[in-house]
Amino acid sequence: MNIAQQLVNGIIIGHAYALVAIGWTLLLGAARLVNFGHGQIYMVSAFVAWWIMSMTGAPYVLAVVVAIAAGAVIGAIMQRLFLRLTLSQDLVNLMIATLGFGQILEGAAGLTFGPKPETLTSPLQAVTFDFGPVWFTAQDALAVGATILVFLGLHVVLNRTRFGAAVRMVAEDPPLVALYGIPISRVYISIFAFEGAAVALAATLIAPRTPILTSMGFEQVVMTFVVVVLGGIGSVGGSYVAGLLLGLFTAIFSALISPAYTTAAVFALLIAFMVLRPGKLAAGGNFAR
Amino acid sequence: MSARLQLRDLRVAYDRNLAVTIDHLAVEPGTLAAVIGANGAGKSTLINAIANWSRAAPRLSGEILIDGEAVGGKSADHLARRGVVLVPEGRGVFMGLTVEENLRAGLFAARAGGRAYSLADIYTLFPRLRERRSNLGGSLSGGERQMLAIGRALRMAPRLLLLDEPSIGLAPRLVSLLLETIRALADGGLTVFLVEQNVRAAIAVADSLYLLERGRVVASGDVAAMKDDPRIIEAYLGARN
Repeated sequence: MNIAQQLVNGIIIGHAYALVAIGWTLLLGAARLVNFGHGQIYMVSAFVAWWIMSMTGAPYVLAVVVAIAAGAVIGAIMQRLFLRLTLSQDLVNLMIATLGFGQILEGAAGLTFGPKPETLTSPLQAVTFDFGPVWFTAQDALAVGATILVFLGLHVVLNRTRFGAAVRMVAEDPPLVALYGIPISRVYISIFAFEGAAVALAATLIAPRTPILTSMGFEQVVMTFVVVVLGGIGSVGGSYVAGLLLGLFTAIFSALISPAYTTAAVFALLIAFMVLRPGKLAAGGNFAR
Repeated sequence: MSARLQLRDLRVAYDRNLAVTIDHLAVEPGTLAAVIGANGAGKSTLINAIANWSRAAPRLSGEILIDGEAVGGKSADHLARRGVVLVPEGRGVFMGLTVEENLRAGLFAARAGGRAYSLADIYTLFPRLRERRSNLGGSLSGGERQMLAIGRALRMAPRLLLLDEPSIGLAPRLVSLLLETIRALADGGLTVFLVEQNVRAAIAVADSLYLLERGRVVASGDVAAMKDDPRIIEAYLGARN
């Protein structure tokens, strides 16, 4: 086994996990909400990018921008649809409603884009860097770099800007926010739109690694869920670390044992963590750190 | 000139239980009105209803007018931006934000109508907050937190400052200091509507008093006359001698 290559693979996969999870992390940390349609936004965004490129011949960069906009719009639509559940923090019904919304997205995508696997092509996928026994593509480097930038950017926005302060206020005491003159629904809509945009960015950067299918959303939800929980339920920094460690774990586990059991092993890890360290699972007021 | 705040036939109910009934109440601009009463009399329910803010979502009917404009049904954030600014019981500051973040967080519209205090104004009014500007709201003492709550409210250019039990949990010396500051704000032209269980403290600073019992105003008038009202003396101030 080429350990160095597995470590590089782990770092790349880990950053991909973290980038896919960042929107959900903010949603959970700031708004204490869940979105089980998250994976389907990932899938739709990947297909939007693919469709733009194959139908109009647009360059990859433009397809990325359009997909991010589409993700943000889907997130904002979800927030408008589920506003009452959002404001009342009705978690169980929101879970069911977002799961249903995800299924509708998947059905609509199946009808629109068909059942065949497609390929989202990035010109950077063909550019490779070889360092002795280790290699990776420019697309991988872009995904890692973009993840780091998005996490740093979110950290700065949350901790250094007035909008970030409003998000932290919503996290701490939603009803009190109104007394500061801030319309809470606008903060919620921004959080949902960010979630959609971030997962769309993740989709367009990561999807070129594998064929895309309209049924791939659920896999993303499953892994995102693990990252978000291991990272400290809603902790932005925790999600980055959890994503990275999970990526390394899956890469090394796949190489040493078998890729077939990776998902099961990840869930065994999650269950062990939840049993052994339940007190470490909630980020609480520190979510923005 | 219309009253800054007018309440007409205001009814506030939780489920089917009527908590507050106010037939008429008016507060003139630049004055300090205080509502006094025992625990459970409906004071917080009343002041929260004016700001249309509550964690328990009561039913409201009747009229609430600010400078003659009916504002019933407007959301709490809209009212706050228009200068109807509530400092709720328990201070209402964000523990996870620093003092300065709390002071910078409020949004107000140009139409708020009152004087917008700058950060420097707030630090002049409460020098202790300048010293603790980088500390989290959660690390402040009760008195500092109340100063921050009032400072935050002043930043929002209030036309009407609604204060719910600002003295609660504070040492007597701090209560005097805070209420003197509130009195000075009213002398400077700010309209203040204060709810207070500490009747002596309220009488010391208010222009007018409303005695609330079981959700109804049972006595009201200028503080000079009201402080001699036997109901207030017997129930809240003790015997004259």
